[in-house]
Amino acid sequence: MPVHISKLCDYYEKSQWPLGRELDARMKSAEKAVTDYDKSIVTVMTMGDLAKPRKTYVLARGHYASPKKEEEISPGIPTVLPPLPEGAPAKRLGLAKWIADDDHPLTARVAVNRYWSMIFGAGLVTTVSDFGTRGSLPSHPGLLDWLARDFADSGWNVKRMFKQILLSATYRQQSAATTEQLHRDPENVFLSHAPRLRLQGEFIRDNALAVSGVLNGKIGGPSVKPYQPPRIWNEVALNGGLFYKPDKGAKLYRRSMYTYWKRSAPMPNMMAFDAPTREKCVIQRPLTNTPMQALVTMNDVQFVEAARVFAQRVLQKGGADFDSQLDYAFMLTTARPADELRKRVFRNLYDSQLKEFSADATRAGELLKFGETKRDESLNLAQHAAWTTVASAIFNLDEVITKE
Amino acid sequence: MIPLFNSDHLLDRRKFLNLGARGMGALGLASLAQPGLLNAAGRHGGALGDPHFTPKAKRVIYLFFSGGPSHIDMYDYKPGIRKVHGIELPESIRKGQRITGMTSGQKSFPCVAPMFEFKQHGQSGAYYSEILPHIASLADEMSLIRSVNTEAINHDPAITYINTGTQQLGHPSMGAWLNYGLGSPSDNLPGYIVMISKGRGGSQALYSRLWGSGFLPSKHQGVKFRSSGEPVLFLNNPPGINRNSRRAILDSIKAVNEAKFAETRDAEIQTRIAQYEMAFRMQASVPELTDLKSEPEHVFDLYGKDSKKPGKYAYNCILARRMLESGVPFVQLFHRGWDQHGNCPRDVRYQCEDVDQPTAALVKDLKQRGMLEDTLVVCGGEFGRTIYSQGALTKDNHGRDHHGRCFSMWMAGGGIRKGYVHGETDDFCYNIVRDPVHINDLNATVLQCLGLDHERFTYRYQGLDQRLTSVQGARVVNELLA
Repeated sequence: MPVHISKLCDYYEKSQWPLGRELDARMKSAEKAVTDYDKSIVTVMTMGDLAKPRKTYVLARGHYASPKKEEEISPGIPTVLPPLPEGAPAKRLGLAKWIADDDHPLTARVAVNRYWSMIFGAGLVTTVSDFGTRGSLPSHPGLLDWLARDFADSGWNVKRMFKQILLSATYRQQSAATTEQLHRDPENVFLSHAPRLRLQGEFIRDNALAVSGVLNGKIGGPSVKPYQPPRIWNEVALNGGLFYKPDKGAKLYRRSMYTYWKRSAPMPNMMAFDAPTREKCVIQRPLTNTPMQALVTMNDVQFVEAARVFAQRVLQKGGADFDSQLDYAFMLTTARPADELRKRVFRNLYDSQLKEFSADATRAGELLKFGETKRDESLNLAQHAAWTTVASAIFNLDEVITKE
Repeated sequence: MIPLFNSDHLLDRRKFLNLGARGMGALGLASLAQPGLLNAAGRHGGALGDPHFTPKAKRVIYLFFSGGPSHIDMYDYKPGIRKVHGIELPESIRKGQRITGMTSGQKSFPCVAPMFEFKQHGQSGAYYSEILPHIASLADEMSLIRSVNTEAINHDPAITYINTGTQQLGHPSMGAWLNYGLGSPSDNLPGYIVMISKGRGGSQALYSRLWGSGFLPSKHQGVKFRSSGEPVLFLNNPPGINRNSRRAILDSIKAVNEAKFAETRDAEIQTRIAQYEMAFRMQASVPELTDLKSEPEHVFDLYGKDSKKPGKYAYNCILARRMLESGVPFVQLFHRGWDQHGNCPRDVRYQCEDVDQPTAALVKDLKQRGMLEDTLVVCGGEFGRTIYSQGALTKDNHGRDHHGRCFSMWMAGGGIRKGYVHGETDDFCYNIVRDPVHINDLNATVLQCLGLDHERFTYRYQGLDQRLTSVQGARVVNELLA
């Protein structure tokens, strides 16, 4: 059929012939149903074993391009460790069964030791990633065994294990150490007092968002792009062409675990607090203490904005006088009221800044416009700005960024 | 539970001796470092305490040309090179070697001699390209290495390899290693600073891992200084907070932290108090450092036409000199745009125009100030480029693909032999025929100049005593040392 005839037929069927029109509409809607259904299915990558496994060889000096063809190797378990469970195939399924065996001597011990180190800062075995001959011996072998047995017997219930440790008398001790404790147990190996550990970067950010009341508690969903200084991405991107575009509104205040992560240019405020780059598995994060961290919590818009919103909350709900406001602020950030010293120190700061901001409304206005959240205009400008400096100082206190 | 910790795990004599042989690196030496006390390298806060032996260089300026500068068009000249122009790359040279996917499908591999003139310079008589007149004038000051090599042939693995000692991700960069091992002499500036500039050519991506701390604590990572806005991220006070307000806020933080220390006796609090003070000092010292107003006009003349333009390589070179002067022990400049797959003659010339005068000026400037003798200058990229043309070879144009089997770098200053050319490539600048220098050998040599034995400078991670120079072995190139 010549082309123009076929076009004409097509036109007639789809627009002039009533039954043709109806069929065409039904066809389109059926096709749409199929594509909609396809789109609703989330694609997940999986791995499978090859029907015929590829031959694997010892690599000369470990170099991938230098296989020793005379030394073919096959999967197996080092002889110092227990063998594969009976009947388990020598492939990934067998390995998974072997690792998750209730009686495996390492899995439960390594896992509970890791949970312990997350809570106490150091594992019962201090080399959390090395239980081999070069690793250190446990400080409390009986306790490690008991926890490991308990964990495996509970059906590997992680939440229960955390509760088990957190509700212990050992964890619930005071973190302030006496001179005698410091003398006799300087590294706290014998757990004479509770640990004092700086919070991880994500926790510090989430905590500031939470106490100020701006935290967006939404669970799940795609990653978000909170505030980031300009030019972090394009400075390293191919031909400088990729730009970070921060989100607007509620997405700026999601928990840090939802932050979009670009490995070649990771979030600088989290990197300052030892967040891993996600390029390599990190078992134990360092807890460094640097001037860069001070600059982040003092100057990053995320923290300054949280401080002024926190100040607003304190002014709205913390009572009429400064002392009760400060108590309210300390209850939210440290779970205890402010003592005399803190009241005196922050009253001084508040008074001095109130004087400055009263004399310079422009400065106060600038500070209270930093970040996206609109301030409550009914609050006195200078008071709000002065309280923001107090709030920012509180966010930077050791006792606020430290778990004690 | 099945017993795990039996007597086999107790440290027996043999294991104990092994531990000793591994050197101190494995034992978590941070506890030996004494903040405040200077080590033999004039620094403090390093995990090693003192370097292994007396260092020849106290500081390093690393000029990294990212993208793969063409050694053929810049440094690796031989009078016979013109003869290969236009001929097909012989199989006797290529030997079936792997090349990148960008040219592996080419039907023809026509060799291209450099489209630039070369002349001999200085007492050493080394050849330099006409597009590097200023660097050429340093011929008698430096060691030119024409036999650097790497296994990597693509940017990401190659640039990670030379900067961290391995193609795998997650290892510390050279600057982070040094920051960790030796510490810094500076109290109010970071021990490792990075700056980035971009040329006119296509720029390959960089990655923060190139100055990252890998498995070392993150405080050892390079701090990136920036040409506009805040010189260091988060350095500026928020709008409305001036320096007086900042001081008042800091004083209140300090008073409460001191009370907390008295209550808990937690030494971390004292460190935190000191770090907040350091942050305050940085807010003053960094802008002072990055403000070039106090530089006299003749300095700008020395560094050339771009020297007053923030963000340019020349500007960064002046900043680098100021940082070295202020005690920063490791400064690394990344200049992008060296990936000449096409338009090689034009774009290599452009790139050289950007870097030639400022690079030479930096060396001369350091020399004038008496700093060159203990400052190590390292200059080069992640690999070189092919002798054959990528794409068509015309009368005045061609491209070059990546080439890792040989490329050129140079070093000068602290501990480095003067007026010396090391290594030799074949007639096609394709394979090394004499004195190869693997990038890990080069890094071992850098550590040597800083007083470090690269084999003893280790950190235990994932069951290995990791080194900057990898665990596969590297050698210090003694011929390069003064």
